Amino acid sequence: MGEKLEQYLRHLPKVEPGRSFAPSVMACIAERARPSYRRYKRWVVAFAAVALFVLMLTTNLPLTPRLELFGYRTVRLVFCSTVRNPKTVAVAGDFSDWESIPMERVDENCFALTLRLRPGKYEYGFLVDGKWVPDPLSLRAVADGFGSVNSVLVVDGDTE
Amino acid sequence: MWEQSDREIIQEVLNGNKDLFAVLVARYEKPIFNYVYGLVRQRQDAEDLTQEAFVKAFFALRTYRDSFEFSTWMYRIARNVCLDYFRRQKIRSFFSLNTPVGEEEDELGDFLPEGKDPEEGVLKEELLERVSQAVGQLPLKFREVIVLRYVEELSYEEIARILDVPVGTVKTYLHRAKAKLRELLGEEFS
Repeated sequence: MGEKLEQYLRHLPKVEPGRSFAPSVMACIAERARPSYRRYKRWVVAFAAVALFVLMLTTNLPLTPRLELFGYRTVRLVFCSTVRNPKTVAVAGDFSDWESIPMERVDENCFALTLRLRPGKYEYGFLVDGKWVPDPLSLRAVADGFGSVNSVLVVDGDTE
Repeated sequence: MWEQSDREIIQEVLNGNKDLFAVLVARYEKPIFNYVYGLVRQRQDAEDLTQEAFVKAFFALRTYRDSFEFSTWMYRIARNVCLDYFRRQKIRSFFSLNTPVGEEEDELGDFLPEGKDPEEGVLKEELLERVSQAVGQLPLKFREVIVLRYVEELSYEEIARILDVPVGTVKTYLHRAKAKLRELLGEEFS
């Protein structure tokens, strides 16, 4: 009886590929052998990623997205003194609990500082060689209760 | 007419006459396609996988070694392509794989070769259909040896080289495959 099964197995139907099988195989080989963007895609993507990373690190191009994480905004304060060549300039305000923060000299008479603040309204002023000076660029000021004035900074990036 | 051997053709292909690979494709497309079809049992998939096997063979031709016949090497590549296919089909266990008998089984009648019409011989078409369906229900490793032995008509030694197992294992697989077939087919074949 085992022979009967084998006899049927030997007569199992045989199938054939379509007539255009060999040409389609050769066409596929030719296609894959051809240098193409697809073949090098991963290298192109990797190279572009590395190039972008290098540019972000080494240039000032606006490539980095300005992430305002947790609602913080970046504010740049600039103070240009009318007094020639002041020695130190600092900023103090309710954003620093009125502690003075030294500003960086950017040229002979100008100083700058970048702060990260939540949106809101802040009072502040500059300490030029220890003397309180309101921000001359600020459009808005309030009395500080000590006979002088504080400038007002509205954080959406602009000063008033 | 003088016919170039596989090795001569391979050497010429490697020397730059790439179009000559079409001769190898034409020479082995039927057995490889039959083998792949025997495993996947879907005509379109079998054609795609067979094509993929030949394309892989072309690009791996430099790794071909004379220790195997080219046909054996092709069977092994086709086998790996099929295993990848099954993996893609999320069939996790190679050894417990069972292919459900689907519509493809009904197509088998379309491929009956000329001169083997069961109606004309001692074989009954209905029984042949049942045997074919039962083969499709075998676990892959059993189905594979049945196809290689009875459809491809390969020797035990050739099957062992393709599957990379000892000859004794091939015989064991065949024995167990036929036992399983008899179980599936019932009294008529027991």
